[in-house]
Amino acid sequence: MVTPLAPPRSIGAFLRAEPGRFYEWVMGQPSRLAGFCLVSIVIGAGSYGAATGYWRNPTQALYTGIKLPLVMLLTTLGNGLLNGLLAPLLGLNATFRQTFTVVLMSFAITSIVLGALSPVAWFIVWNAPPLTGRTNIASPEYAMLQLTLAVFVALAGVIGNVRLIPLLRQWAGSGSVARHVLLAWLMGNLFLGSQISWVLRPFIWDANRPVEFIGQDCFQGSFFETVFEAARRVIFL
Amino acid sequence: MNENNPVPPLISQTDAAQRLADKPNPPLAISPSGPRPLGDDPAERVPIAHAFAAIEALLRQPRRLLFQLRQPGAGKLIVGMLFVAFFCAAVYGVVAGTFSGGTQLWAAPVKIALGLFISAAICLPSLYIFTCLSGAQSRLAEVCGLLAGLLMLMTILLVGFAPVAWIFSQSTNYIGWMGFLHLAFWLVATLFGVRFMKNGFSHAQAKSQAGVNVWIIIFLLVAVQMTTALRPIIGKSDTFFPTEKKFFLGHWFDTLREASENNGTAHRY
Amino acid sequence: MARSTVSAPHARPNVLKLVPTTSQPAPAEFSTLLRGEAAAISAWSTEWNARRFASHLVIIFLGAGCYGAAMGGWRDPQQALFVAIKFPLIILLTTLGNALINGMLAPLLGLNIPFRQSFSAVVMGFAITSAILGAFSPLTAFMVWNAPPMTAQAVSLPVYNLIKLAHVGIIMFAGIVGNARLFQLLVQLSGGHVLASRVLLAWLSGNLFLGAQLSWILRPFIGSPELPVQFLRDGALHGNFYENVFNSLTHIF
Repeated sequence: MVTPLAPPRSIGAFLRAEPGRFYEWVMGQPSRLAGFCLVSIVIGAGSYGAATGYWRNPTQALYTGIKLPLVMLLTTLGNGLLNGLLAPLLGLNATFRQTFTVVLMSFAITSIVLGALSPVAWFIVWNAPPLTGRTNIASPEYAMLQLTLAVFVALAGVIGNVRLIPLLRQWAGSGSVARHVLLAWLMGNLFLGSQISWVLRPFIWDANRPVEFIGQDCFQGSFFETVFEAARRVIFL
Repeated sequence: MNENNPVPPLISQTDAAQRLADKPNPPLAISPSGPRPLGDDPAERVPIAHAFAAIEALLRQPRRLLFQLRQPGAGKLIVGMLFVAFFCAAVYGVVAGTFSGGTQLWAAPVKIALGLFISAAICLPSLYIFTCLSGAQSRLAEVCGLLAGLLMLMTILLVGFAPVAWIFSQSTNYIGWMGFLHLAFWLVATLFGVRFMKNGFSHAQAKSQAGVNVWIIIFLLVAVQMTTALRPIIGKSDTFFPTEKKFFLGHWFDTLREASENNGTAHRY
Repeated sequence: MARSTVSAPHARPNVLKLVPTTSQPAPAEFSTLLRGEAAAISAWSTEWNARRFASHLVIIFLGAGCYGAAMGGWRDPQQALFVAIKFPLIILLTTLGNALINGMLAPLLGLNIPFRQSFSAVVMGFAITSAILGAFSPLTAFMVWNAPPMTAQAVSLPVYNLIKLAHVGIIMFAGIVGNARLFQLLVQLSGGHVLASRVLLAWLSGNLFLGAQLSWILRPFIGSPELPVQFLRDGALHGNFYENVFNSLTHIF
């Protein structure tokens, strides 16, 4: 008798899986796979967030450790419907539940990489002088810290998305369809993720405010308004 | 739904489950199309009895060491390799400490050996994840073994460089130069260590070396930052640990500036 | 018959066992060394022979010593004695200081020879260099004897620069030939030019790096008319060769 394919038992098995295996997991028991991804996101992104927030103090570490996985989960949930609609429209024969699981899987891979990098991030943070009198927002130390943390997030994000390409290509039977679907999902997730991050700020250290889970002005303005305003100032002085 | 959607070309769920149930565990050795499988030479199957044999194997028969690291019960070998690495790092540390003498004769070996091991521990999770992502069929114990091989080869080579470092330590008082020299020796030693590690991963069915290459950059940055976090290593200081936090680039620029202002005799590193 | 003859070029080390390694008279060995008979020399390097090793040390002491004496002789007989001691000392200290790293680099770069073999190969390379230097020493002595005495005025004359350049040229020539012979030996041991070049380059880099610093510590060699004759300068252990080069470059630019 053939038994349904069990979800990954370990992180190693999950990361080493071939596209065919990923497909079988998605088709077999997506709820159990989603559970695995959920745990990976909470632990992986949580530990990276904690390492990042530790620069300020342990409370900020706790808050950021909660908020970073939250950004990913809220982005997946918020875009779940849109991603599920875009996939078949662009040529990928997948159900809503399947697209949801695949996006979650991508975030899980990203989170696992972030979790693996969290000791390094913690070491960098531990070496950064605190954001007090001598070190300020304009200090090279702050820039170095921001840059390193951002590079790690970018690296993890790239890995998480690149791992989806072979699966989508094999699933859709076409490289171009796979690219279009991934691009569409990526744009939607970046768009929503940026705004959720904006709402849930601060992640590292807001020198003007005490430690708090979400800033008081969290719903004032948006990420894109700020970017637009900054661009306007640069162009029109 | 789009009419042009192709039928999923992949196999069905039940077939897949059956296929996977029948599929044996992937072999640890590499496929015939890849490099020569480890252990095909009887000499590579000879167990490594002690630490000196491990050093000899690392230099002359790296394939034997790689094969033995994949065998059950390799833990003892890995511990032995780590012990050699710790000892050699301490020996090199003593040589580095002779530049300033005094308390640095014991502080430098402690800092170099501990710093190296802490750097390795910080980078171990990312190494394991990146090797998994590259498709390498390596267990965590094997990854630990390869990392131990990297550390051992690196520190053995540093001991090889020790006489040269000692001669320079005795004949110069320019700290910037000594820092540069130690970093150059460390870099050369690390490159050989990394080569051994990559050789090990090439026998683990890795599809790509990109992840390991990224990890190497991370390891180098962490190790270099560790020299700043544990400063002074070759210079003198009133305190064992630094009282101010800095990144390595800022620290190096400060050191070089101070050295040039003090006619090249600054003793803080 | 074939078993008693010299092995073919590019032979692997195990083939070298076929080469007769019985001791020859010292003069015969000396000429074999100078001719750079790679097969015979590589056979020597595979087995440890204390007498042969001692003879290589004697060549280094005599050859480099004689050349050092000729070099220092321009300043003063005592300087000649000092340099005659220091020149071979640099070679031996360089060999000893780099022995460990050279022994490690060879197998790591692909030439699987024991530590002792790499050590004796480097010593043989230096022995050839020293022998050439020794051969040039009468010529150098004659050149120095013909030069005006080393005074403050003589230092400003072209002859001073000529003698310096002659020393540089001769040492460079001897070094190149010594390393060329070492390269032939490495080709014989490794069976390939690429591997031999890699090992030679690694050894050469290390030896030049350390040798330059040891020369700096053990200065003076030619001597200066304004400074007393000394075995080591007062500030011998202050500063290093590369620092000095760097400072000179910064002054120029």
